[in-house]
Amino acid sequence: MKLEEIRQKIDKIDRELLVLLQERMGLALRSRKFKRAVSDPTREEEVLSRIERLNLDLIERSFTRRLIRTIIEESKRLQEENRPLVAFQGEHGAYGEVASRRLIPNGAYIPCLEFIDVFRGVEENHFDLGVVPVENSLEGAVTQVNDLLTTTDLKVIGEAKVTVKHCLLSTEDTDHREIRLVYSHPQALAQCRGFLMRNKLEARPFYDTAGAAKMLARENPRAAAAIASELCAELYDLEIIKEGIEDGPANNTRFLLLSRQPYANGGEKTSVIFATPHEAGRLFAVLRLFAEANINLTRIASMPLRSDPENYCFFLDFEGSEQDEKIAGVLQQMEKLTISLKRLGSYPAASGIY
Amino acid sequence: MKSLKLAARAKARKTVVQIGDVGIGSNLAVIAGPCSVESEEQTIETARAVKSAGADMLRGGAFKPRTSPYSFQGLGIGGLRILDKARQETGLPIVTEVIDPRDVSWVAEFADVLQIGTRNMQNFSLLKEVGRAGRPVLLKRGMYSTLEEWLNCAEYVLSEGNPNVILCERGIRTFETYTRNTLDLSAVPAIRELTHLPIIIDPTHSTGRPSLIEPMSLAAVAAGADGIIVEVHWRPEEALCDADQALTPAAFAGMMKRLRPLRTFMDQQPA
Repeated sequence: MKLEEIRQKIDKIDRELLVLLQERMGLALRSRKFKRAVSDPTREEEVLSRIERLNLDLIERSFTRRLIRTIIEESKRLQEENRPLVAFQGEHGAYGEVASRRLIPNGAYIPCLEFIDVFRGVEENHFDLGVVPVENSLEGAVTQVNDLLTTTDLKVIGEAKVTVKHCLLSTEDTDHREIRLVYSHPQALAQCRGFLMRNKLEARPFYDTAGAAKMLARENPRAAAAIASELCAELYDLEIIKEGIEDGPANNTRFLLLSRQPYANGGEKTSVIFATPHEAGRLFAVLRLFAEANINLTRIASMPLRSDPENYCFFLDFEGSEQDEKIAGVLQQMEKLTISLKRLGSYPAASGIY
Repeated sequence: MKSLKLAARAKARKTVVQIGDVGIGSNLAVIAGPCSVESEEQTIETARAVKSAGADMLRGGAFKPRTSPYSFQGLGIGGLRILDKARQETGLPIVTEVIDPRDVSWVAEFADVLQIGTRNMQNFSLLKEVGRAGRPVLLKRGMYSTLEEWLNCAEYVLSEGNPNVILCERGIRTFETYTRNTLDLSAVPAIRELTHLPIIIDPTHSTGRPSLIEPMSLAAVAAGADGIIVEVHWRPEEALCDADQALTPAAFAGMMKRLRPLRTFMDQQPA
């Protein structure tokens, strides 16, 4: 190995050490929800003595103790900060994290494997807030999330629109001519279908865009690339082959911010989910209420009811707050015309697209 | 030239290759830029300079066919990404060379026009591949090729279903050594007689001398060429490739002041 190669490997390890530390800090912050106090001397001693039992000839025990002690101190300092724990689906670098950073700038962003982990985690107070995608300008509704919204007791307290700029990423030693397989979330693969077809690349579904980037960096499978955000290239030290490989020009995803408590200050937008009896004119009767009250609808979508596949529920977003008299009146009348009406809440409208 | 089913001049009308706002074959098209993409700063600064002097498109090599394997081979995909940025900055469409059939679809993701260089003119598998890439092709004349051989290569691209071929005369090998090659200016009217495809000239590689670029460009316009492709470098003395033949932005701007008025004058003369 030449000096240059050795240094490259060292740089890579330093980066991985920090990424792992970031993961450890996230876990420590999550543990705070289960503890009465930040400091737990018994646990600290346990951590230190366990790690000391590891016999590594190049790492002195005294050094191990000092290193872990420093990490524990920093982790306790972080826990004292009481940052809100914001859960998103995917690994670090996922678009959900990009949205979370916009919505809660000083949060601690916690990756979750599945959307349901975000919902349940917030419901059970393991996290303070959750950020989930509801719709994409190219692909339409994110059905899993919409389905979970119909059953949750959580409230929507904010929204953000995030521009999805997909990048084709590869490890530094992969030649673009060798690439045959592309790993990413099925939604991202679908959004880049044209690009994949033109370059004769095979789509390999992965549970998450950022997860695919992370896997690529760690395992470096042959002839493979990933589709993920620019943030992932930076986070996982990958090369960007091309940015903006999605088919449509205006590709953005709308995310909702979920909380156990409703938004306190009124808001400018409201989301509801309702179902009407399967009779002629029932849906029209509901929509007429909004037309007559001159309320602007910003989203209307239908989804089959899981519990009753013959029937549909409708997602309705509109301008104005539940606290406005006009809207409160419409919602009251709506109660009579529907078989179910779920109020997700009122919240500030997203200003622009990030 | 019986083999030219598609390239031969059977059509009454000339082919116009439309790239954004630029119609090659209708207006005088000026393609300018560095020989190779060396850095973001060099490419974007040169792109800005040629744009303000009135160029229609930006050229720049990311994959370089070099005489010596030890010469700078180009930045590859990284170079294409820089060209992409230069297009976003200036709005100039991108012309860049492709030298390997495996690269064609990738280069087509970044470039507006795929250039086939003189050394690859008869690389038939590459010609077939660019014929299927869905991008206009700028086909340079091989330095040892006859017009017929050249047009047969255009036929390869056309027969794959790609009607957008731009021919480029870039000088041929003769016994003369003062110039790098000899610009075959007669190719311009001869090609007019033989095919409906547009033809441009490359005054840089044909002469290899900056002082000859402007006179030969003016001569090409007078002879009826549809455009020129010329090398401009923001600091020619620092160029990693063909340093001694690129124009400075100032010299390019000076030439442009005479080139377009000459075309206007020629257009006004009765045929």
